[in-house]
Amino acid sequence: MAEEKAGRFPDPHEFQVPPELEGWEEMYPSHYLFSKERGEWESNQFWYQDKIHAPEPMPPLDLIFQEAWQISLSQYTTRVFCIPPAQGIAQRMVGPYMYICAIAPPPDEVIGEKAQLFEKRVFYVFEHYNELWDKWLTKFKALGEEMAAIEIPKELPKFVPEDQVLPAPKGYYVSYDILEAFNKLVDQMFKGWQYHFEMLNLTYLAYLMFGDVTRKLFPGISESSIGKMVAGAYVSMFRPEEELCRLSRLASSLPGIGDIIKSDASAEQKIEELKKTTEGMKWIEELDKAKDPWFYVSCGSGWFNYEGSWINKLDIPFSYIKSYIERLEKGETIERSLDEVDKERDKTVAKYRELIKTHDDRKAFNDAYNTVRTIYRYAEDHLFWVEHWFHTIWFDKIRGLGRLLVDNRMLNEVDDIFMFNRYEIPELLTELSTSWALGVDIPVRGDYYKAKVDKRKKILKAASEWNPIPALGVPPEEVAEPFTIMLWGVTTDKVKEWLKGMGEVSAEDISEIKGFASSAGVVEGAARVLKLLKEIVDLKEGEIMVCPTTNPSWAPVFTKIKAAVTDIGGLTSHAGIVCMEYGVPSVTGTGIATSVIKTGDTVKVDGETGVVTIVKRAG
Amino acid sequence: MDYILNFERLDKSSLPSVGGKNASLGEMIKAGIRVPPGFAVTTDSYLSFIEETGIKDKIFDILSNMPPDDVESLNRASAEIQELINKAPLSDEIKTAIEEGYSRLCEKCSVEILPVAVRSSATAEDLPTASFAGQQDTYLWVEGEEKIINNVHKCWASLFTPRAIDYRNKNNFPHEKVLISVGVQKMVNSRTAGVMFTINPTNGDPSKVVIEGSWGLGETVVSGSVNPDKFVVDKVVMETSEKTISAKHIKCVYDPEKGGVKDIDVEEDVQSICCLGDQEVKELVKIAKDIEKHYGRAMDIEWAIDKDFSFPESVFIVQARPETVWSQRRKGSVIGKKTGYQLLMEQAMKRIKIPG
Repeated sequence: MAEEKAGRFPDPHEFQVPPELEGWEEMYPSHYLFSKERGEWESNQFWYQDKIHAPEPMPPLDLIFQEAWQISLSQYTTRVFCIPPAQGIAQRMVGPYMYICAIAPPPDEVIGEKAQLFEKRVFYVFEHYNELWDKWLTKFKALGEEMAAIEIPKELPKFVPEDQVLPAPKGYYVSYDILEAFNKLVDQMFKGWQYHFEMLNLTYLAYLMFGDVTRKLFPGISESSIGKMVAGAYVSMFRPEEELCRLSRLASSLPGIGDIIKSDASAEQKIEELKKTTEGMKWIEELDKAKDPWFYVSCGSGWFNYEGSWINKLDIPFSYIKSYIERLEKGETIERSLDEVDKERDKTVAKYRELIKTHDDRKAFNDAYNTVRTIYRYAEDHLFWVEHWFHTIWFDKIRGLGRLLVDNRMLNEVDDIFMFNRYEIPELLTELSTSWALGVDIPVRGDYYKAKVDKRKKILKAASEWNPIPALGVPPEEVAEPFTIMLWGVTTDKVKEWLKGMGEVSAEDISEIKGFASSAGVVEGAARVLKLLKEIVDLKEGEIMVCPTTNPSWAPVFTKIKAAVTDIGGLTSHAGIVCMEYGVPSVTGTGIATSVIKTGDTVKVDGETGVVTIVKRAG
Repeated sequence: MDYILNFERLDKSSLPSVGGKNASLGEMIKAGIRVPPGFAVTTDSYLSFIEETGIKDKIFDILSNMPPDDVESLNRASAEIQELINKAPLSDEIKTAIEEGYSRLCEKCSVEILPVAVRSSATAEDLPTASFAGQQDTYLWVEGEEKIINNVHKCWASLFTPRAIDYRNKNNFPHEKVLISVGVQKMVNSRTAGVMFTINPTNGDPSKVVIEGSWGLGETVVSGSVNPDKFVVDKVVMETSEKTISAKHIKCVYDPEKGGVKDIDVEEDVQSICCLGDQEVKELVKIAKDIEKHYGRAMDIEWAIDKDFSFPESVFIVQARPETVWSQRRKGSVIGKKTGYQLLMEQAMKRIKIPG
């Protein structure tokens, strides 16, 4: 590595971001910046842009999820379950993009100590997975409900209401409630993320183990085949869509309801209309039952405030229901048979097993398979509860505080609150509390905060037009950290590809991009680049969808498209699993598809080799 | 005693009387695999030929008196034996049997003079433990009973080429134990042909079928005189993980003037066209899996797509023999006796090298 000078990326301390991003540092906590004091250590690590969790410029408050996972993911590897040679993943900001680094293994004696703890702790988890999952879900739901129960003051009253003073003073009032609410939200978010990784590291480790065993037995087996054997059908992430199917069936069985839902009115108008009839009320009742928790599904990954969720963008689930009703009318089946998916998977496993020649190998394969299947549900189930349900509650509560700040002339728009990081928001809230406490006609520094918001929005916009460098620092000799391999797919080839991309190649000159062959099939067609789910209205039947990432809240889209190409998605990325489930050819984790491909380009997607070819440029 | 036997009447127990290749064709027909029709000239024909003409003892005398490891005497012995065989006439009974077999075959295919392939099929050839492939002769596009009889005669002689004798000596196969039968099989009017393996020969992956094919007859692929198109397909999920289209500059075709086959140039714009359709690849994979299942082991298969038939009737299997390389190498366990937890612990201790 050392002898090949070309094989390194710029030193993170010397790297300069474009001048348009000037002032970006103040958006993020200072420990997220490359610093002199840690300079030597930082320069010798390998930092690559985290396109899974932070593909877009980072709004300051949304960094809280990253902050939380840096601690939680790392501690489970290093201090809790003790994966012997692995250490944590460190994060830094370079401009508004996040870079991460899998830290080199600890000294040998530490590896030895960890191995002992690993054996004792990890095997216990595998043996008791089912009961541990039940416990996990119980405590996680309780935490989410606790967060949902936090009351965000709707206004700052002129005088504290009588019942808070008499017969006995409550003792603390709205000025404290505001501060407490935010502090609690932060605490609970961190706690939720501590839970998030409880069994995830082990899940990924088990997956990697099974992948390795199968690759030894079948040297040429594809990632998608391994995924197919492991993926489950009855997982929480698919429930939102199942609920839509159920509601669609109900709607088409009730007289007149389908027509209301199919109309061009907004979701709110449709609900008003439905409330007028008994049948309509019956449907609304079912809708309300489905909403909590299943409409608390993000329209994106759950990582960014601007993605929104079904629950606060009802037009999206309604448009899905509309297309389902139309398909039902044509006599089509809308539900995927989950039993079928399950059976299909078992058949696949059995067929591979049949190809194994010796008894010992068959037994090892079975054992490896059972081990990964014991725990794999976790990878699929935790996702809905944390990134979707829990985050949706959080965004909702934060917006409550945003509204309060807007009402008190400290911000222009509710969502501007996301332009401040979690350390800054207490300052805004404290200033608001203070001015209320001080009495009437006390000025606040609204212009000061509004100017900051404007400046930051400009920086984020400039950042979105900048193509960040893929990596900084020195590529490592080895990686032992399971997430790094599994999620980001950091391998020899990936690093080489990045180094290749260091030259000045413009997007127009690229005619072939590579990713994971995550769902089989080869098709050619017109590309539709969707940066956000709301752009989905532009998507036409038979187009090839090119997007940053997908998740099951996009599910109904998959019946419309010919193929999917994503920027982000490692070995068992959500996009990969979903595409496979829907039988749509896909290439995931290309890194650059949305910046290289333009809407209208003719592209060929080869879900068998993971190659996307731009056959013809539009216009 | 049967001088000839139709392929339909053969199975693996017929090996002593029809040799490995022919028995295997009969076995495939039994398994429902589409094989070009034909018949075997039995080892009994051969035996009665060397006995009745009185050359049997002479042949084995020459062989037993031959000094080992001497190229010159090996060549001399071979020449002497081949001359003995070539000069000895076939009995009328054998000739009649072959003539009748051929005319029934012509009738079956509704062709007056059916082109056939004449292939030797030795009893020690293609055994799982020893690859005798290519040790004996093959004659393609043979038309008319006279030529067929001639070539059967030549096949018998080919049992004693210097290479075949030497091979048996080196592998301690007694010469008198190895008998020869000859297959007479309808010639596939081949648009595309090639070979396939039910295991990936490059890495021993048993979950793959690897197909290599080129234009015309399969001889260019078998001999390596052309870079074939290559397909690697997963047996379980049926995904194609590799598809390489090569410039196939020549093809082997029948030459009516020569009365045999020859290599000709392929037009430039056709060279790089994929020689198999997706459906054909799928069908071949399906057949490969059936054959492997039937034999219960990895197989090496020759196939051809006949331009006179429409898909799927156009897909024929010409040959199937056990794969020997990986079947030997991968006999033992790959993973070993390990529990899921042991495997997990191993994984946890692993570091993945990333060379800079």
